[in-house]
Amino acid sequence: MTTKTIKNQNQVALTRRQFVVSSAFASGGLALGFHFPAAAQSNELSTLGGSEINAWVVVRPDDSCVIRIARAEMGQGTHTGLAQLVAEELECDWAKVSLQTFTPGQNLARKRVWRNMSTGGSRGIRESHEYVRQGGAAARIMLLQAAAAEWKVSVNELSVEKGVVTHAASGKTTSYGKLASQASKLPAPDPKSIVLKHPRDWKVLGKSPRRLDTAPKVNGSLKYGIDTVLPGMQYAAIKACPVFGGKLVSFDASKISSRRGIKAVVRVDDESVAVLADSFWRAKSALEVLPITWDFGPNGKESSATIAERLREGLTSTNNVFADIDQGNVAEAIQGAAKKIEAVYGTPFVSHACMEPMNCTARVTADRAEVWVPSQNAEASLAALAAVTGLPLEKCEAYNPPLGGGFGRRGGTQDYVRQAALIAKQFPGTPIKLIWTREEDMTHDFFRPIGQCRLVAGIDAKGDMVGLHLRVSGQSINAYVSPHNIVDGKDRRQLQGYWKDPGESQLGYTVPNLKVEYAMRNTHVPVGPWRGVNTNQNAIYLECFMDEVAKAAGKDPLAFRRNLIKNHPKHLGVLDAVADKGGWDKPLAPGMFRGIAQFMGYGSYTAAIAEVSIKGNDVKVHRLILATNCGHAVNPVQIASQIEGSVAYGMDSLQSESSVKDGRIVEKNFDTYPIARMYQMPKIESVIAPTYDFWGGVGEPTICVVAPAILNAIAAARGGKPVRMLPLKNEGLRLV
Amino acid sequence: MNLRRRLLWALGLGWSSTPSLFAQHVLQEPLLQPYVGANAVQKGRVKLEIARLADNGFNVPLKVSVQSPMTAQDHVRRLLLLSNRNPRPLMAGFEFGPGSDQVLISTRVRLGGSQTVYALAQTSDGIWWLDTAEVEVTESACLDQT
Repeated sequence: MTTKTIKNQNQVALTRRQFVVSSAFASGGLALGFHFPAAAQSNELSTLGGSEINAWVVVRPDDSCVIRIARAEMGQGTHTGLAQLVAEELECDWAKVSLQTFTPGQNLARKRVWRNMSTGGSRGIRESHEYVRQGGAAARIMLLQAAAAEWKVSVNELSVEKGVVTHAASGKTTSYGKLASQASKLPAPDPKSIVLKHPRDWKVLGKSPRRLDTAPKVNGSLKYGIDTVLPGMQYAAIKACPVFGGKLVSFDASKISSRRGIKAVVRVDDESVAVLADSFWRAKSALEVLPITWDFGPNGKESSATIAERLREGLTSTNNVFADIDQGNVAEAIQGAAKKIEAVYGTPFVSHACMEPMNCTARVTADRAEVWVPSQNAEASLAALAAVTGLPLEKCEAYNPPLGGGFGRRGGTQDYVRQAALIAKQFPGTPIKLIWTREEDMTHDFFRPIGQCRLVAGIDAKGDMVGLHLRVSGQSINAYVSPHNIVDGKDRRQLQGYWKDPGESQLGYTVPNLKVEYAMRNTHVPVGPWRGVNTNQNAIYLECFMDEVAKAAGKDPLAFRRNLIKNHPKHLGVLDAVADKGGWDKPLAPGMFRGIAQFMGYGSYTAAIAEVSIKGNDVKVHRLILATNCGHAVNPVQIASQIEGSVAYGMDSLQSESSVKDGRIVEKNFDTYPIARMYQMPKIESVIAPTYDFWGGVGEPTICVVAPAILNAIAAARGGKPVRMLPLKNEGLRLV
Repeated sequence: MNLRRRLLWALGLGWSSTPSLFAQHVLQEPLLQPYVGANAVQKGRVKLEIARLADNGFNVPLKVSVQSPMTAQDHVRRLLLLSNRNPRPLMAGFEFGPGSDQVLISTRVRLGGSQTVYALAQTSDGIWWLDTAEVEVTESACLDQT
């Protein structure tokens, strides 16, 4: 093992670089922009030449308004939706709105005035809608107070529209730009005194203004994390022991140190080695031929077969099992039923497969540490950086460019930040850009947990379900990433979607005798949240089984569900909405088959119908109809886009699998790990059915109904023969 | 572990006889009751240093110091670290006496999620002194609201 020292080529501090990507839309020269703090020299957030009315709103002399956004943009459109929430209450001119993001260091310096920066759990809007709207409303009140003071009139006599304030009695008008400086000096109104608008009065919300970040994506000017370039930067390629839990024993740097551009070969931690070079290609190519000795440890013997065996044991074991719901007497009900139906379903580990692989650029000196990292939680990145460098948070900063996909991979698990910081610490002052290869990304993911589910149901002579026993056996996310969420040994999170309690992820069916259990069966494979998390697997288990039971009862799958779901009107509402839009009662063309599914997750209700045909082993999904009730619809076009993205993600999980052999992941690139392709995508129709009495999520909840709707259509096409063990290739099927 | 056991033993024996003294800012938090009983608790003298953010709660470093001359007449008897979210609120306990030169500890604790951490010290006059700190333990991404 050797370490070569890099000469410190450039320690010149970056000047403040605020770049604004603007796009002019055809309609009236609408100028919308983003202001990213690419590198800030202080914790003070720029006011961009305007006056800060409060933490959320800056108004500039030209009447343009800058709205500050705490959450990360990874394609889900949250920046636009959050800006709409503020703009609605601010009563500004949407055509003059731009966005500004900030760093976690700036958030901390202001005592977390912008609160949570974490972007996940479909929480962006549902968690913050109230306080960001209050921020907009408070700014409006202050601007109106400034006008009232100037004209010496009562605030009640003023009206405002698109940032123009009018005093009707005198005919005077002024604009936000002229009032901003005075307004910024006024005390903030008491949040309790602020009354937010009723949705029926919305002007910007509930509409679908164009997204604020489309143009720079299309013209290529948007800088993702992987595009970060700093003066004197070196590139790092990394390899961690391919067997989870294995260790790095040694490597022979002399075999590659004479290659062109190689700067150093370093041990990063107990399990990984990195090569540094003047280009990523040189670093990566050298790492590929670097002789490395690993200690695989006992996990080297694990395989998909050993893991499946462990899960099967959990399906019937009395060991380490808990019942989250146990009502009536399931055993008796099923025993005495006219008919008993039983099935075991299974879903594999799957990878996040973000288009932009994990990366992080770090620069560490004795008294300052910075990272440029696409992260779903920049505060987590900052905390990881501080932990690795030992520097206080105040001396660390994390810059958060847009993400090329996150899907849960870039949240609380900041392994790539730790690695980049550990490398950069060895070369003080030199920026190190760590990029994972696709192979590294797919080998060292925090995978969607593997699971199996045994379901047993009893139906009476009339075909009604009298008992249902459902047991999930599989790996726990909490056990791996947040054990404190397991209370008294009970990990309810793995039963997401089967909960009795309303509001978040409630089971829609009422069965008189019901038992829902979880047997935690952990493996050596790291697991984490994967967009939609456990609703994905749990919806497949339950909704496919529902079709099996309906068939055994000789009932129509929709009618069978409607009967069981009638006590939950919101679940029923989306089910009916999708059936109506999909024309469930209308005949299909010959060779076409339908499947239906419903589920709840992330505070929203969803349902789907799939239309499928099968030729030989080729499955064609022709049409998908999806309904969601997310409570409030902030931006309907964005919701529809998220639903379409959900279809792609749901179709990924029908065909992909991260399998295990010799303790490591087998599928390391898209040649063996298929994801949804353009040609596979069906026609997608969405029904957005908000009831405006709650706030639900959008980014995740529709994914979980995609796979079961398609699987139920496949089963219908095969004369009722279900697909119980995913991916589809296990049944010899493929999506075309 | 020994320390904690010894401490709990001491708590069980000693507290009921400790006089209740007047304090300007008496804090009444249910979390503290099992440890301080009817005794007064006030802010001051204790300094708890812990980072505002932690990317996980597995081992979070912290530092606590207590201002005291550490003489026979005026010294710190014990110092407790409490969590308002962990399944077991008492994270650690330390005992001191006039023989201790100063009260300064540095350790790592496990935190079950975002919460308030309490550093609670009792001086030889029976008064409990408190400092608190908010810690945000950043959660995994798509965590639902369980």
